[in-house]
Amino acid sequence: MSVTSALGSALSGLSATSRQAEILSSNVANATTPGYARREVGLRAAVLAGTGQGVSVSGVSRDVDRQLLAERRLAAAGDGDRSIRAGFRTRMEQALGTPDSPGSLAARLAAFDQTLVAATGRPEQQARLQGIVTAAKSLISGLATATADIQTARATADRRIAEEVGTLNATLAQLQELNVELRSFSGAGRDVSALLDERQRLVDSISAIVPVREIRRDQNQIALFTTGGAPLLEGSAAVFGFSATHTITPDMTQALGGLSGIAINGRPYDTAGSASPILGGTLGGLFALRDEMSVAAQGKLDAVARDLVERFSATGLDATLLPGAPGLFTDAGAAFLPLNEVGLAGRLSLNAAADPDQGGALYRIRDGLGAITEGPPGNGALLGALRAALGAARPLASTGFTPGIRSFAALTGDLMSDASAHRLAAEAEQSFSGARLTALTDLEAQNGIDTDQEMQALLVIEKNYAANAKVIQAVNDMIDTLIRLGA
Amino acid sequence: MTRLSVGDASLTNILARQGAELRAQVNRAAQEVTTGQHSDLPKALRGDVSPLLAIDASLSRLAAFRTTTQDAALQTAAQQTAFAGLSSLAGLATTLLGAPDFQTQAQISAVAADARGRLASAIGLLNTQAADRAVFSGAATDRVPLGTADDLLAALETAAIGATTAGAVAAAVVTWFADPLGYAAFYQGGAPLSGAPVAPGEVADLSTTALDPAIRDTLAGFAMAALIDRGLLAGAPEERAALAQRAGKALLASGDARITLAARVGSVEAQIEAARTRNGAEETALGILRSDIGSVDPYAAASRLEAARSQLESLYLVTARVSRLSLVEFLR
Repeated sequence: MSVTSALGSALSGLSATSRQAEILSSNVANATTPGYARREVGLRAAVLAGTGQGVSVSGVSRDVDRQLLAERRLAAAGDGDRSIRAGFRTRMEQALGTPDSPGSLAARLAAFDQTLVAATGRPEQQARLQGIVTAAKSLISGLATATADIQTARATADRRIAEEVGTLNATLAQLQELNVELRSFSGAGRDVSALLDERQRLVDSISAIVPVREIRRDQNQIALFTTGGAPLLEGSAAVFGFSATHTITPDMTQALGGLSGIAINGRPYDTAGSASPILGGTLGGLFALRDEMSVAAQGKLDAVARDLVERFSATGLDATLLPGAPGLFTDAGAAFLPLNEVGLAGRLSLNAAADPDQGGALYRIRDGLGAITEGPPGNGALLGALRAALGAARPLASTGFTPGIRSFAALTGDLMSDASAHRLAAEAEQSFSGARLTALTDLEAQNGIDTDQEMQALLVIEKNYAANAKVIQAVNDMIDTLIRLGA
Repeated sequence: MTRLSVGDASLTNILARQGAELRAQVNRAAQEVTTGQHSDLPKALRGDVSPLLAIDASLSRLAAFRTTTQDAALQTAAQQTAFAGLSSLAGLATTLLGAPDFQTQAQISAVAADARGRLASAIGLLNTQAADRAVFSGAATDRVPLGTADDLLAALETAAIGATTAGAVAAAVVTWFADPLGYAAFYQGGAPLSGAPVAPGEVADLSTTALDPAIRDTLAGFAMAALIDRGLLAGAPEERAALAQRAGKALLASGDARITLAARVGSVEAQIEAARTRNGAEETALGILRSDIGSVDPYAAASRLEAARSQLESLYLVTARVSRLSLVEFLR
């Protein structure tokens, strides 16, 4: 009976347009929801007994550009890595100071040099000797603050690694559950778009930590690997192992013990070098900060501290000192031993014999640290020698810098220039990775919900709905006509 | 599917990002205009801050040299004043030379008393302190170099015991002043001062002490005549006159050495003054260089600020216009 089937077709058209309106409203409502992918209703002609019988909804599809998504995830991981590195370099530069900051290491050194000159001119003035002590302590505290900053950065990195590993484990477990749900829902033929959105959001959050490769499997399943090849989710979720260290001292490293590495399902993996499968995201950046960059930065600081100590404890400088006795700058009160170079910058202290705060006497700066009684107050010979020792060019004993002979001021300048150059290079890299991420994010946003387009579609849906309703009315009129014929 | 749409978020993101970037530019330029300093100095120096640090270190050292040159100049000026005083005291030499022609013993006594007074004055001059610092004591700046004139004369009397002729007394005096256990032991000061730094790599020689031969010989001249006043050679008028004459000769002879000494200290004064001028010039030059390197061109900074401001205003305009472009507005 063709009139009745016309009624059926028109009804199917009504329900299809209603479904379209429903999905459209969801799209408009989620116009600004992050991670929401635009849905589209798939339509096809319904076929019944070999003839067309209206329209039917074939399904709801999510509109996702997988290639773009994968690239954006890699860019986000790379940007996270670069941001962490650049952040550390900026912090390092601030710790040492720049030429325009009054408390910079160079400014402290210049003040120390200034007090030595002034005291050499008038050795009998207590105030000028006190000035040397104050300036020397300020120099020491400058090095100690920078050391503390480096070690704090390491401890923070260590704690953040633990947090990120926690996030990884929790998210991977959630993803495993989602995979299971998706398998059962897809089998039952239900709309799984929301679950897919949620899964995409979770993978996004993982991919910022370690760059991932997503592999699609049947039944809306995915497997995850890091781009380095470590398995993250393959049926069951991988478990990352890491133990945080509460207090980190300069001598603790992953290689020498004291700091934790990373394990996946109980198996240890490298955290640096080409064999490491976890590099490229924030996790890799944090490991590089904790194990490489901060160690190198501390090494340079220690080299500077060692040079300072050795300049003032050189034999022949102060005749009152016994061989091997500590000079003006000491390693926590004792003489410096080359084996103990690591962390020296944090342990420097002024020789107690010359420091009134530690029970010493000011005159020992002028008359010699080993002097038993005060000598003639106008004797500026040792002060002049100290000043010369600070300014003399001498070869560097440590390996942190390129070898060569430098004055202490030149060495400090090298240290600060090195920090600034590293910061600028890291910033340049970060702005590159940031620009790449921005470009890809923009592209992704272009694929997002366009309300204008949705409104256009709404006009079409309205029109279709009205047309289908009109068909129903016409069929109704036709049937009425038939009924009146019989009356 | 050919895509005809552009997501809403895309435009919002772009506008927000450009807005943030422009506002940051405005902030940077505004900071540079108001402070005159680069907002990111290491970046302006391309990471190499060493030259600027070297300039800063030099400037700070020059500030210290300003103090040390002042101190050194004070020391040498005090010494020169003492030398001038000594020379005017030594004017007694001509009177002493004429002693053999004096009519009366009283005249010789008067000259001897004068000489004794002048010896005390000379010692007073040598005990000068400038800014709490004994200028002829060498390193022992906390005490005056010489004891009183009476102590000096008493020591000389002991040294000249038994001398009955003017020649013997004069010889004893000269010997005592040259003897390490004589005048050198009477000297209470320390070793000569080590040089004071007055300019980078330059040291002013402040080593003059009361032990200098010129000063020693001058004191010896006064002391010979003063011994007459202490009653030495009393009763031998001829010898008294002869000793007075020898004292006059000794004083006269020491004149050249004093002038040489004053000239030597004068050359140190000149060196200090030259160093001071040079330091001042260097400070100015470095200051100019420092602001050349470290400061931002105010015109460039102001132009950047103006450019960023007008760009930001245009962006606001675009944002306002574009936000109204929505189909929803027209579907009413």
